[in-house]
Amino acid sequence: MKTLLTIAWRNIWRHPARSGVLIAAVVAGLWAGVVTVGVLNGMMDQRLNNLIESELTHIQVHHPEFLDEGYSRLFIEKVDEIAAFLKQDERVKAFTKRTITDGMLQSPVKTSGVRIRGIDSESETRTTNFHTNMMEGEYLDSSIPNAVIIGRTMANEHNMELGHRVVLTFEDVSNQLTSSAFNIVGIFESAGTDFDRRNVFVRSSDISSILYDKAVFHEIAIMLHDEPFAQSLAADINQNFSGITAQTWRELSPELNLIVEFGEVMLYLIMLIIMAALAFGILNTMLMALFERMREIGMLISIGMSRTRVFLMIMLEAIVLTLTGAAAGILLAIFSIRYLSSAGVNLERFAAGIAELGWDHMIYPIMSTPEYVTVVIMVIVITLLASLYPAAKAIRINPLEAAKDS
Amino acid sequence: MIIVETKNLSKVYNPDTVPVHALRDVNITIEKGEFTSIVGPSGSGKTTLLNMLGGLDKPTSGEVMVNGEKITGMKDSRLIDFRLKNIGFVFQHYNLIPVFTARENVSFIMLLQNRDKNEMMKRTDALLEQVGLGDRKDARPKEMSGGQQQRVAVARALASEPKFILADEPTANLDSNSAMNLLDIMERMNREEGVTFIFSTHDQRVIDRARRVIKMVDGAIAEDTLISVEAANQ
Ligand SMILES: Nc1ncnc2c1ncn2[C@@H]1O[C@H](COP(=O)(O)OP(=O)(O)O)[C@@H](O)[C@H]1O
Ligand SMILES: [Mg+2]
Repeated sequence: MKTLLTIAWRNIWRHPARSGVLIAAVVAGLWAGVVTVGVLNGMMDQRLNNLIESELTHIQVHHPEFLDEGYSRLFIEKVDEIAAFLKQDERVKAFTKRTITDGMLQSPVKTSGVRIRGIDSESETRTTNFHTNMMEGEYLDSSIPNAVIIGRTMANEHNMELGHRVVLTFEDVSNQLTSSAFNIVGIFESAGTDFDRRNVFVRSSDISSILYDKAVFHEIAIMLHDEPFAQSLAADINQNFSGITAQTWRELSPELNLIVEFGEVMLYLIMLIIMAALAFGILNTMLMALFERMREIGMLISIGMSRTRVFLMIMLEAIVLTLTGAAAGILLAIFSIRYLSSAGVNLERFAAGIAELGWDHMIYPIMSTPEYVTVVIMVIVITLLASLYPAAKAIRINPLEAAKDS
Repeated sequence: MIIVETKNLSKVYNPDTVPVHALRDVNITIEKGEFTSIVGPSGSGKTTLLNMLGGLDKPTSGEVMVNGEKITGMKDSRLIDFRLKNIGFVFQHYNLIPVFTARENVSFIMLLQNRDKNEMMKRTDALLEQVGLGDRKDARPKEMSGGQQQRVAVARALASEPKFILADEPTANLDSNSAMNLLDIMERMNREEGVTFIFSTHDQRVIDRARRVIKMVDGAIAEDTLISVEAANQ
């Protein structure tokens, strides 16, 4: 075995240029593939975190029908018990209660349908980072009565500025239409223009007092210390409380979930393309090597080298050749990703439009250990598969090749 | 003691298209310790015969016995193992492993035989000394002359301690000095160690060194001459 390895290793360096080209291709291919996957992972992850951290959060609790029906009478009954439960749970980082109702926003210019989100700016700030979207004015934390903050898009469409007044009209819990004047105290600009057109924020206490004679909440948004606990905590909440549904962000935002799964598919797709190129490279190089060595292998079979050993010899050569490159490529990729994950990759030059769609242009690539392991396993499997053919061809070489005139 | 024996050995190439009768009913017997040359004009069937004796090719009819064992019809993998244990080969084109040194080329065949490491090293060194390459042990084939390479090939063939060594035109690519030098070595191994050699050639000076000359014409044995030791030494 050691001798076969020696032959394999020396045969590889018999044609330094040819082997060098294959090794360089393997290094470059794997490096590029892994870094691309890392960048994509980073993009997905940042996009996910943006949405989760700015508004969605890991888990939301609602009245079971609220999300479908939207009536303000579908509020959460046992809000205090749930709050007490969340306070003592170690998985919870922070949570906030929201009062939500659909209604109309009327300005001197026109009327638009909006979702009115009543928040408590103090607990909201502890839970989400939506406050970082504030462009002008304040985040409902002054004492101005009946304050509202609106999106930049909405402000432009209604030709409104800070200090202007708008009228919000909505149904209270007994389905009676009520209207109230609100003062614009802030303008925000979130990742999506559509969100900015359809959502306004008011104080939970202001809206709640109009809806009912006590404080009502339609949504509890919960951030966790670690995302993986979302599933189990949602299950615990559902088990402990009736008349509500706790859902994870995956259930709340199927399109976001899709992005995550798409990212995983991309990993395999990119790696598959690279593996196909790798297999082709191995086949090409090994068949060339084999063709030149017909006489030598014929001689080895003549003098009594078993076909098993010939098979092993060729397999080893292909494996050593590829894995030399693969090891270098993956090491290079690991170091690149480690560096880029703190330095970041600026995609602005390549994709100027992505920021408008709510994607960051500074990407911090991510590769997890299982992903590296997947890549390594794929390389090994492909190398073995691609070496099988040349090795199978080698053992069919006729010993009489040894005596042929060249 | 009979080492190799053929019975009505025939070989027809391309039987379906343009049949070539390369061997016709060849019956020969080789005894242990022979130093036998197969001679004849080009195309007379020398190579074909040696390939049959070495179990490298299958006869169309007839059979080959080596050391009392019938190798004709033997399963391929068994035949390879049989060759490893019983037959030594020296080729016209030397056919050394180019990435190995002289020493590695010689010990490789013993590795294939799973021999003891220590014994292997000693035997390799001794053989290289015997073929006059004591100072070229670490040279690779491309750093050696044709004569030196062929001597490594002979050392390799001897290393496996075969029942006999087949050499098809071993001197055809060598200048006459190297050719005579190689013959000296083969002859000495034959005389001192009793190694059986069967070699083909059409070089008269090589034929003159043989102690038995089998002449082939058109795939059949035309003459089979034993030369007495005294006559050969004159
Ligand atoms: N593989 C082959 N296919 C067809 N004909 C062959 C083949 N090998 C040898 N022959 C023919 O068989 C005859 C004997 O060839 P060979 O044994 O090589 O003779 P020698 O070694 O004495 O020159 C020749 O006519 C040659 O052309
Ligand atoms: Mg010939």
